[in-house]
Amino acid sequence: MASRKILIVDDNADIRLGMHLRLKANQYETFFAADAFSGVAEARKQRPDLIILDLGLPAGDGFTVMERLRQIPFLAVIPVIVVSARDGLGNQKRAYEAGAKAFLQKPVNDAELLAVIRQALGEPAGTNKPTLQGQGSV
Amino acid sequence: MKGKPLQVLLVEDNAGDVRLFREMFSKEKHDAFQLTHLLRMSEAETHLAKGGVDIVLLDLGLPDGHGLDTVRRAHAAAPDVPLIVLTGLDDEALAAEAMNAGAQDYLIKGQIENRALPRALRHAVERHRMQTETDLIRTNQMQFKDEFLSHVSHELRSPLTAVRQFVTILLDGLAGELNVEQHQYLEIVLRNVKQLHSMINDLFEVSGVQAGKLKIELQCTSVSDAMGYTVNTLQGAAAAKGIVLSSDIAGKVTSVCADPARLRQILIILVDNALKFTPQNGTVTIQARIFEEDPDFLLLEVADSGCGIDPEMTERIFERLFQASDPDAADHNGLGLGLYICKDLVTRQNGKIWAKSELGQGSIFSLTFPIFSLSKLLAPAFSEKRQTECPITLISIEIGSQTGWLSNEVRAEQCRGIRDLLRGCLYSDLDVLLPKMDSAGPAEVSFIVAITDGIGGAAICKRIRKQLDSSEPLQQAGLTHSASYRSLEAIKRNSTESKEDFLERVTSDIQGLMNEVILSRHV
Repeated sequence: MASRKILIVDDNADIRLGMHLRLKANQYETFFAADAFSGVAEARKQRPDLIILDLGLPAGDGFTVMERLRQIPFLAVIPVIVVSARDGLGNQKRAYEAGAKAFLQKPVNDAELLAVIRQALGEPAGTNKPTLQGQGSV
Repeated sequence: MKGKPLQVLLVEDNAGDVRLFREMFSKEKHDAFQLTHLLRMSEAETHLAKGGVDIVLLDLGLPDGHGLDTVRRAHAAAPDVPLIVLTGLDDEALAAEAMNAGAQDYLIKGQIENRALPRALRHAVERHRMQTETDLIRTNQMQFKDEFLSHVSHELRSPLTAVRQFVTILLDGLAGELNVEQHQYLEIVLRNVKQLHSMINDLFEVSGVQAGKLKIELQCTSVSDAMGYTVNTLQGAAAAKGIVLSSDIAGKVTSVCADPARLRQILIILVDNALKFTPQNGTVTIQARIFEEDPDFLLLEVADSGCGIDPEMTERIFERLFQASDPDAADHNGLGLGLYICKDLVTRQNGKIWAKSELGQGSIFSLTFPIFSLSKLLAPAFSEKRQTECPITLISIEIGSQTGWLSNEVRAEQCRGIRDLLRGCLYSDLDVLLPKMDSAGPAEVSFIVAITDGIGGAAICKRIRKQLDSSEPLQQAGLTHSASYRSLEAIKRNSTESKEDFLERVTSDIQGLMNEVILSRHV
């Protein structure tokens, strides 16, 4: 199988490089954007399998990126993982409501990031199984 | 204030006293004061509520108000207006109490010297203004400090992320093989990065503590799990210093009413501290037992064989930013926030925390938590108001995730909302929505105990399903849900049985049902 494509949207170049090295080592192909506007443009161009998105970005923020992605049908389906230094359940909740598949707090643990990526891509290994299905006795 | 007369409200029913006050004011410049006189407290309240009064002169013996009560009422009607109380000669003690209740000053009738009244009024107004200003400054400062802390800890996280990323990239050999020494040094970097990270989290946490933002969800929490988790997490750090870290539970200790994440956090802070201040080859133990002084509480103790604390300091260590000034402790780095956070968390979970220590003799940190008691929670359902011969129905509601993508925190957040929703589905105010049970596992299971017939159980389930189906956040988060119920046969209280025994019996039956539900999910 061809390697999966991941778009990293983060305004910190060091963090982009760090993630790239880590993802490359795990056979993912990476693309980059450093602001909200080019985040959406790059997603349109590359059609990645997954997007890693920072919240604090120039030219908008992570939420505006997610909003735009949702308006474009073929981009709306791409899973988004938010990785942010912002904290607070408020931001987390907002991210999920905006359609994020996961929210990780910086500084992020690489093992956790990889596990979440695998889950979001539906890849095996290290995934948490779905917890339960309805089984009412009525 | 210059040029504008001071609006004085005199509340006094004694005509003679009123005449005296009018005389005193008449000696002042006519535009300095404007006196309004009222006879009753009720009139004064109405007048104060309208505003425009600068200061109140209040008699403590009015026809419709007496003593401190008048002070409180006046204060409530206009909290921002300073008050001077008027008393008789023999009431000085009462006047002092009035000051505690919010009065700025008091004057003893018949002892007001020439020109003392206007001076007292001006001073009271000025004092009040300064006090208000100081309070405002203090509030603003606190707010600024919290915002600052929150901002700083946020800004520090980004560079730290990059440091951590690249250290782990090197450690994992992604940039080539490392020799043993290089590996060892990078481990040191990583350890310090982690410490920095935890300090930043403390900063953040403490700005949350200030604002009272830390969420606490009280539930049935296993103490042994929290102790086990703490020992496992810190065993490595203990072993590195050759310290024996162990835990011990005395007797039948079950569960406490606490937030499990917060309980773990508290124990981690305490044990981490103990390890820091204990020398090589020492011991650190966590113990749990029923609190001798109050058997409704569980006592947890974290004891170490470390350098100890000056007994005079055992209270101050819980203050914010407190740090031992001991030069030997200079390498025991930290921000001095841990114990402050602990105290806040313990207090908000209805417990207490204190320390006992002697210099050089080690320290014992003790904390108490209320013991979780199902029968206490169920008691309202079996109050006298109720017919207990109806079947007892246990409704179980399960919330799960279709995808497994949700982090625990978010699931907890969602489930809090769901619990509010469930509270609204209760049939009567005697029905009990039980707190989350720890043993329920990763999926959220909520239980409601209601006394209904079978139809009632079905009706509640139907209502709950309908509510959950229409919950938007639930659907957006991709959560699944189900509701089911089981009924116990009518349990009748024996004539020989005490109310407590009956409750105990019902509780154990309900506990049995709950265990069945939980077990059936694991099969």
